Amino acid sequence: MTAVPIRRRAPMSRMARREARHGFLFVLPWIIGFLAFTAIPMVATFVFTFLNITLSESEPLRFVGLENYQRLFGDRQAWASLWVTARFALLWLPVVVALPFLLAVAVNSRYVRGGGLLRVLLFMPYVVPFVAGALIWQNMLVDDGWIDSALRRIGVAHPPSWLNDPTWVIPGLVLIGLWGLGSGIIINLAGLRGIPTHLYDAARLDGAGWWRRLRHVTIPMMSPVLFYTMILAVVDVMQYFLVPLVLFDGSGDPGGATRFFNLYLYQTFFTFQEMSYGSTLAWLLFVITLVVTLLLFRLSRHWVHYTSER
Amino acid sequence: MNGTRPRLLPALAALASVLTLAACGPGAGTRTGAAPVELRWYCCLGTGEQADQVKVERAVVDKFNARHRDIRVKLEVVTYNSARDTLATQIASGNGPDVVGPVGVGGAAAFHGQWLDLGPFIKSSAFDLSTYAEGTADLYRIGSVQEGLPFAIYPSTLYYKADLFTEAGLAEPPHKYGEKYRWPDGREVEWNYDTLKELALKLTVDKNGKDATEDGFDPESIVQYGFEPARDDLRYQGAAFGAGSLDSGDGETVKIPDAWADAWRFFYDGMWKDRFIMTGPVFETDQFNGDGAAFFSGHVAMSVNFLWSTYGVAGAGTDWNLAAMPSHDGTTTSPTSADTFRILARSKHPAEAFEFLSYLVGPASGELLSAYGAMPARTADQDAFFGKLAGQFTNTVDWQVVKDSVRYADTPHSEAYMPKYNQTLSILGTYRSRWMTKGGLDMDVELKNMRDEIQDVWDR
Repeated sequence: MTAVPIRRRAPMSRMARREARHGFLFVLPWIIGFLAFTAIPMVATFVFTFLNITLSESEPLRFVGLENYQRLFGDRQAWASLWVTARFALLWLPVVVALPFLLAVAVNSRYVRGGGLLRVLLFMPYVVPFVAGALIWQNMLVDDGWIDSALRRIGVAHPPSWLNDPTWVIPGLVLIGLWGLGSGIIINLAGLRGIPTHLYDAARLDGAGWWRRLRHVTIPMMSPVLFYTMILAVVDVMQYFLVPLVLFDGSGDPGGATRFFNLYLYQTFFTFQEMSYGSTLAWLLFVITLVVTLLLFRLSRHWVHYTSER
Repeated sequence: MNGTRPRLLPALAALASVLTLAACGPGAGTRTGAAPVELRWYCCLGTGEQADQVKVERAVVDKFNARHRDIRVKLEVVTYNSARDTLATQIASGNGPDVVGPVGVGGAAAFHGQWLDLGPFIKSSAFDLSTYAEGTADLYRIGSVQEGLPFAIYPSTLYYKADLFTEAGLAEPPHKYGEKYRWPDGREVEWNYDTLKELALKLTVDKNGKDATEDGFDPESIVQYGFEPARDDLRYQGAAFGAGSLDSGDGETVKIPDAWADAWRFFYDGMWKDRFIMTGPVFETDQFNGDGAAFFSGHVAMSVNFLWSTYGVAGAGTDWNLAAMPSHDGTTTSPTSADTFRILARSKHPAEAFEFLSYLVGPASGELLSAYGAMPARTADQDAFFGKLAGQFTNTVDWQVVKDSVRYADTPHSEAYMPKYNQTLSILGTYRSRWMTKGGLDMDVELKNMRDEIQDVWDR
């Protein structure tokens, strides 16, 4: 038996050590921020889930074991709010992934004139603060607002009550969300511009029409970008909160149809003042987001194509 | 070097003089010789956020500060919509204010157990409670804890538009409690919610001029509604039919009071079946939502509301008046809101906070009550208040109805503390919104589901 020589890492030169030290100093602010505002609060909320911290009842602090998790399983409001989030996701995710892609394809087309102007127009709403955008949309979607007036003009006698009908409020929120598609369009446009033109030339030589070029060249080449927008959209949906908070003062109106999980979480913390149970909800949200994201990564092996080696 | 020394010495001497003068500043002249105690007054869990009101609040603080060199009060105005969450966050972070208000029974109940017991301070300062009507101070007593001192009360009455009654050939509702209502055919009937419903149907009119009792009435084109309940809070709606609480008495079991269930059925059927109350979507339209209250639009014949809605009632025109609250099952109830100021139990300066609170409900109360449009809890001040209030309107209003309504205040108070207060309110709010926006519901099932859902929360 011969001894296997152990390869030792070559000692760092003085200059390399200096560079490493400087590099560390540059990332230090981020590390401090991450520890102070993300890592430590996360650990703290995890510890809270095993305690009974609440501001509304004057109980002494005690260890409650898995009581908060047990309560979570029997909490109708928590599951109802998760269902609200899921319903919104089912409608919103296809829109937020497909529409920016299709609009980018349209803007990128050689047959569309004024592509530059279109790019500016499509991106402009994204620059408007989202709260302001939501309030503008509120005035457009109210029962005697612009959208209903337009629908009446084209013959819809009883247009939907977008913000007051539990059935229509989710489609109403999706409409409002269209306001922020600008960044998705720009990302997709950047992706489209990065597809090598020789692939299209080759496809044309093989007799492929527009649809086949889209299906067999554009979509596979754009799959990393589509995957990226999908992951961001999933995370955004799980954190969806601001618009219903602004439009309905966080009440969940109409009839609980906008009590998204994140809104319920916010209510639990700041309205019901139940810090420990709120932490438990936050951890559930984190776990669900993590599981969905990991699942998407696993599935991405089947449809996302990377042209370079990893 | 030599050149700098002569300039440095005078500069150091000047600095020393400035520091000495600063040390002898206003703070050093206080009674105790220490820096003044800093108090924070947190507004607005109830009324108080309007620009005109804030102006008065600031003036009141300035006057207090001018008279008390040992206490410095700072006003913090947070708008009503976010006031509750902000206060919760402040308390959670150990940064709570000292004095909070004006806050009603419900706003205070949301922070149950966190208010200072004023009892010892009332005793030690010999605060005079005899200036209030008997039992008024008890409105602010939760168990053995005296959380507040009487300040403002807002009884409920029936607001109505007299011209719409005249137009329909109907007599106006009675102003005196116990009086009967007289129909055009001479019949005299008890002034109760059944009578109100009959009236409301006749006063609900579509664009063709047909009322809700006539054939061919089109519920899709209503231009005038007969009745508008106070739709902000289901407990208030319930209390207008009869005082009660969701707490059956043991602090553990939920029971919807019969009068409240009747009130909620009346509300739901009024919207979706009988059509004399507007549905949620209609309520949200510009045509009927006059500054947050449908009656202010001028297209509603009758409405139950607190006295504070005088703030926008001018929008209803110059022919509105006040009538007695209708009875239900032989009992008349006027849900009464009661605002005051409270001190957080965690205040570091409870004695100074009580001094400021005594000032707010005492010498400053006149200015504040006037700004809030609130009826003084102190009986001696009530006539002057109504005299001033009457001057704001060109029409003659029967303010005596308000004074008479005090006798019918809801006890127990509809906003009184119940277990899991905020969660229960959230569930009530969801059902309220659901009923306003969805027709065809079975109210028996709805009431059962609501009870079960609240019980679930209470059982945790």
